[in-house]
Amino acid sequence: MCFCSDVVVELKNDLSICGTLHSVDQYLNIKLTDISVTDPEKYPHMLSVKNCFIRGSVVRYVQLPADEVDTQLLQDAARKEAMQQKQ
Amino acid sequence: FNTKEDVVQVCEPQWPENGEDWSDGEGGTDMDSGLLQAMAEEDEEINVHNEETFGMGFGESPPPPPPPPPPATPPPPQPKPRSPRRAPWSPHRAPSPPRQKPQYFPRASSRQRGRSRGQRAALGRGQMFEDPAVMRIIEGRPSLKSLDSAIVDCGTTMYQRPFEDDVTGSLYIVDFFPFLSSTFFFMQVYPPIVPRSPLFPRQPLTPRQHYNQTRAFMFPPTHPCPSTPQTPKMMQLRFGANSPRPSPFYSPSSNPVQPFRYPGPATQLHPQHKRLLSQKQRKPEGWDPYCNLMTAKEKEWITRLQMIQLQSENPYLEDYYYQEYYRRIESKMAEEELGIRSKREPPKLTTPYVKKTDSYTPVVHIEGSLGQVAVSTCYSPRRAISAVHADQKDTRLQRLDILNKIEKLFMVLLEVEETERMKTPLLSEAEDRRLVEKIQRKVEHIYSQLQHHNPLESEGDFLPFLLVSKGKKLVARLLPFLKNDSALKILRVVTTNLPTLMSRDADETLPVLYPPLRNVIGGLAFSQLIGVLKDLTSLESLTTYECLELACQNKFGLSLLYALLSQGEKLLSSGVPLEPSIGDFETWTDIIFQVAGQLSQCSLVEPLLLPSNLLTLFCRYLDKRTVHQLKSNMESVTGCLALPS
Repeated sequence: MCFCSDVVVELKNDLSICGTLHSVDQYLNIKLTDISVTDPEKYPHMLSVKNCFIRGSVVRYVQLPADEVDTQLLQDAARKEAMQQKQ
Repeated sequence: FNTKEDVVQVCEPQWPENGEDWSDGEGGTDMDSGLLQAMAEEDEEINVHNEETFGMGFGESPPPPPPPPPPATPPPPQPKPRSPRRAPWSPHRAPSPPRQKPQYFPRASSRQRGRSRGQRAALGRGQMFEDPAVMRIIEGRPSLKSLDSAIVDCGTTMYQRPFEDDVTGSLYIVDFFPFLSSTFFFMQVYPPIVPRSPLFPRQPLTPRQHYNQTRAFMFPPTHPCPSTPQTPKMMQLRFGANSPRPSPFYSPSSNPVQPFRYPGPATQLHPQHKRLLSQKQRKPEGWDPYCNLMTAKEKEWITRLQMIQLQSENPYLEDYYYQEYYRRIESKMAEEELGIRSKREPPKLTTPYVKKTDSYTPVVHIEGSLGQVAVSTCYSPRRAISAVHADQKDTRLQRLDILNKIEKLFMVLLEVEETERMKTPLLSEAEDRRLVEKIQRKVEHIYSQLQHHNPLESEGDFLPFLLVSKGKKLVARLLPFLKNDSALKILRVVTTNLPTLMSRDADETLPVLYPPLRNVIGGLAFSQLIGVLKDLTSLESLTTYECLELACQNKFGLSLLYALLSQGEKLLSSGVPLEPSIGDFETWTDIIFQVAGQLSQCSLVEPLLLPSNLLTLFCRYLDKRTVHQLKSNMESVTGCLALPS
């Protein structure tokens, strides 16, 4: 599906953008470089765009590369975070 | 230019002409000279602190500290200096000390001095200006651009410090009250800015609080209010000479373009992380026109400030993923170095590819209608939500209930693992025992919760949880903590319900149970082993043959079978007295033959682990030809030898 090296960001308007993760900030705004639109190129207005800034509030999912994430550890970290927030 | 006076007039509206009219309701007499003195002293502390903390090297040696105002200075205190037009500044000026920060205003005008003293005296009320954040206004040096409109671009010239000389011109720079972080001047301002009065002590934020707070504000959390006690330890940790230096990795001066993947200064990255980043380093991309606006020192200073916010006293708690991830990488590398081959592959995420079954036609045309129905299109691709069918509600609710329970038990399990981690050999006996008790209590809690899910359900103990992948993972992580008989119980549940488990394992998470179960099997006695094998082979509707057939078709089932047989062989060849029950040996040999028949005939799946003593086992009971056939069959699947030759 996607041939990018890094992440795929799926937005709430169903647009999926593939690209290299450049930076993230406290609002989870995302900057991607070298982007391409995945799936059918139904969104031709993105063809010439190389880098983009995505506002955090419009992101639905961020798909991370499988071998760079330890999902079990991530789940544990999320649970611990939830535990701490409750306290 | 406007004259200074005029400009001052603009900036200070509503100064009462008559100084005595100045009254803010709290009584001008509140501000006695003692308070003034206290404030003067505080200022000094602040200045010293700022120097230490940020070491900005703004360079100017502060002018000799002003003489403290004589305590017996009677009024005129504040009222008089506040009237800007009044000629007699000088008599009131004399006793008032320069209150500005020496760094910024070494030679500020006398009028400013007097005025600022007056402003200071009305602190905590914020009544002077419309904007409560503004406490003082000083004049700064005008920029080149404001002086000469022909100048469009100053290029890469360094902008001189604006506060140095006698000021002329109309540029004013607002200086925030120094109790607010001086860094505030450089950072973005997020409204609303909460003015901090020096009269109100402020608690230094704990790392937890500041972690949340920095989302809204940009306050460096540990900037202390001078009136609040700051633990000396914290001071030493972070500020001044002890402020973490930039790592050698970061070299702002070497190339004008900052590759953004560099960690900033003062980052304490895990060495593994640094290595990974350096591998991923990219070439600089080109000339950056903004690279010389700040000196390297300034950049370093700012980055250091931001990094200070990230320091925490308990990184394992607040940055759990990062710490644990690199710890695991380290231990794995250490293992490799010691020559221990890790037999397991690193866990890989396998997301099953789910085919999108319901597609939708973006443009719908209803027969007989004049137009097209507004459905999501490529320009507005929002999909309609597909509703949940009502008849599936019950099963969903049950599933949700189970998942909910599993999550809660996971929390307890995490606590157990954390407590286990804290058990070091350095603990005292009593401490150790206390932790062990704590662990046992929690483990038993989880166990009992897993066992009795719903008394009405006839599904059996543990099974509802084992059918869910999250539940399998929970059980797998719980097993090492369980006592032998509890663990055996779970093993028997697994083997008894093996066909069900195998068939309802869409995510293929069953293998996660294999390693802990293998350990349990390794501790079985012979008769226990036979019992488990019986579970495996005598299921309700199936013959032994059929059970085995099922098991052999499944990776987990086959591996489990191998593990059981291997354990049997180990027991038999160890010479330890077996104490078998009646009929055990018969069951044993019977199963061996059945298994051998299975293995030699049907095509096998690749097991998770092929024990090395299986062929020895078969050699005991079977003829050479059968053994040979078995061997080739088993080896063809795994690609490795069944017997180390």
